[in-house]
Amino acid sequence: MIRNINIFLIFASIVMLAGVYALKFSIEGTAAERTALTATISEQEGKLSLLKADWAVLNQPGYIDPIVRRHEAELEIAAVRQEQFGSFAALPMRPAKPDSAAMDALFEAIAMGIDPIDAILELEGIE
Amino acid sequence: MAAATEGYSPTIALDGARKQRGNLTQARIRWMILGVVIGFMLVGGRLVQLGMVETDQTIEGQARDVITATRPPILDRNGLEMAVDIRVPSLYAEPRRIIDVEEAVQKLRTVLPDLSETWLRNRLTGDKGFVWVQRELTPAIQDQVMRLGIPGIDFITESKRFYPAMNEAAHILGSTNVDNQGIAGIERHMDTESVALLQELGLARGNALTPVELSVDMRVQHVLHDQLVDAMTRYQAVAAAGVMMDIYTGEIVALASVPDFNPNEPASALVKDTFNRITSGIFEPGSIFKTVTIAGALDSGAVRATDQFDARYGIRFGRYTIDDFHGKHRIMSLSEIYKYSSNIGTIRIMQAMGKDNFRDFLGRMKFDQRVEFELPEMRVPTVPKTLSEVGAATASFGHGLSVSPLHMVTAYGALVNGGNYIAPTLYKRSVAEAEPLYERVVTPQTSEVMRYLMRLNALEGSGSQMNRAALGYRAGGKTGTAEKVVDGRYSSSKVTNFFASAFPLDNPRYAIVIMVDEPKAENPQSGTTAGWNAGHLTGRLIQRVAPMLGVAPDFSEALDRQIVPPALR
Repeated sequence: MIRNINIFLIFASIVMLAGVYALKFSIEGTAAERTALTATISEQEGKLSLLKADWAVLNQPGYIDPIVRRHEAELEIAAVRQEQFGSFAALPMRPAKPDSAAMDALFEAIAMGIDPIDAILELEGIE
Repeated sequence: MAAATEGYSPTIALDGARKQRGNLTQARIRWMILGVVIGFMLVGGRLVQLGMVETDQTIEGQARDVITATRPPILDRNGLEMAVDIRVPSLYAEPRRIIDVEEAVQKLRTVLPDLSETWLRNRLTGDKGFVWVQRELTPAIQDQVMRLGIPGIDFITESKRFYPAMNEAAHILGSTNVDNQGIAGIERHMDTESVALLQELGLARGNALTPVELSVDMRVQHVLHDQLVDAMTRYQAVAAAGVMMDIYTGEIVALASVPDFNPNEPASALVKDTFNRITSGIFEPGSIFKTVTIAGALDSGAVRATDQFDARYGIRFGRYTIDDFHGKHRIMSLSEIYKYSSNIGTIRIMQAMGKDNFRDFLGRMKFDQRVEFELPEMRVPTVPKTLSEVGAATASFGHGLSVSPLHMVTAYGALVNGGNYIAPTLYKRSVAEAEPLYERVVTPQTSEVMRYLMRLNALEGSGSQMNRAALGYRAGGKTGTAEKVVDGRYSSSKVTNFFASAFPLDNPRYAIVIMVDEPKAENPQSGTTAGWNAGHLTGRLIQRVAPMLGVAPDFSEALDRQIVPPALR
């Protein structure tokens, strides 16, 4: 009886030993993986910080302005002048009466099958 | 005897087998106990020994926290980065693990030829556990050094401050040392506030720190810096500086002073003349101070905007006579005195107010103390405690006292914003947050007259150069040409020019002070007075920044008529 129990216990302890060792090694593996990941993250954070710094440099008005200046002639751009600003208040009011004669002429033309837009499209070379 | 001997036959004492075994077991147990005790004592002794040993933690322990300590990124008011942390490799050595010092020295010098050979040899010899070789290198150099494969040489990643705007906001940002501690500018201020504490507690690690938002607008800052650098060549000036403030919140929108330095190379800040002229330079402000004198006199009630003053003759003080630069020598109204920048008229206005009242007013405008501001680079202004008759007369047009341009921009802000003094700041602040800090220095009515006078000066007076460039933005201001003291005398060839202004004056938002030091005429047709350089520069500046700040140009003359106070219409 006792003998059987002993044999059982011996096997059980061997199995458990194997289990514990397996667990230990898997944990060590996981820890190593974690360390590697931490290292990768920190390395990538470092690279990211450099990229962010690069981006910040590229975004600086002091960096962009000389580029704009260099291409001023080619792109036909210039600093905005005061006269170029407008506002909604400065827009002329709508005419008091719609130009009914012109509208009538347009509708009649469309009714007759002549669409003025065709002429424009043709001129632009759009089918 | 025999019987006796017989009777005393030797007793043979035989222990029973059981007892014998028992004794043996006991002896074994004793040996075992001894063994176990010795074993435990060994383990215990080793523990004590380990406890006594001081482990070398210089690099793996706390030191790592210190060198990777990060600082919060600094953003401008629109969220653009002005200062960020980057991770850079730093080269260190463990001399006790270096096998062949000579070989290591030769190999290292192939990649880092700047290192002195003897210095490096001394550095790598010895039994130390850790020494820096060179800090804050580039990843490319790290690769090259790693390829050399020298034992006992390795890299560690450090945090380093990087300023993407280079020189542009140098005086605002200041700089940090190799240990990432602020040594100048706002970086220094942040340290005294909170960052140093965070770093000490070890909390300032990783990129988790909340960014610090400044009031500076990098676009405006760029234009200002660009114009100042341009002024250095255009007018062959020795220096130029400028500051722009939001008059309702006290936020500094832009602040620059050239010559400046590159905060990425803190050593460049040590070059002569790179100090911040806006905060730590004090100058005789010259005629831009007349605005303050006139505002004080108007506010005291001694003078009204409609009054006339006798400016026919120079004013004599003993042997000296104070006269006008653009002499008109007639009876002038208050607005004419301002427009023609009459020294005589300004003295008369000051005298109507009384010199002691004038001195009190200077105290109220805080000209006799440091401006409350974040930058640590500050100088105390020199304003006499009491003013003599002559002293008050010269002070009324900005001579005989020295203040910083920051004082002037704050004063101008207070004079045009309705009369509330608000201390400038570099941190973001809303109007609601600023209002409790307001200190009333002049009445809204006085402020109204000051706006009118400044605009008038732009339309008809010395500010017309400025107005021509900034047409439509309703800017106005006052020129100031202060002669420098050379060998104890005022020199007429060396001048410091100022232009203090505000815009848009129908509903003012920003105050500006521009300074150009020792300018020369741009071309034979122009002059060296402030209107030609500081004034024109202000005009160009406003012309470029007003659209960025949401100020639309308006050419209608009705706006200018509206600025005129009812009493003067």
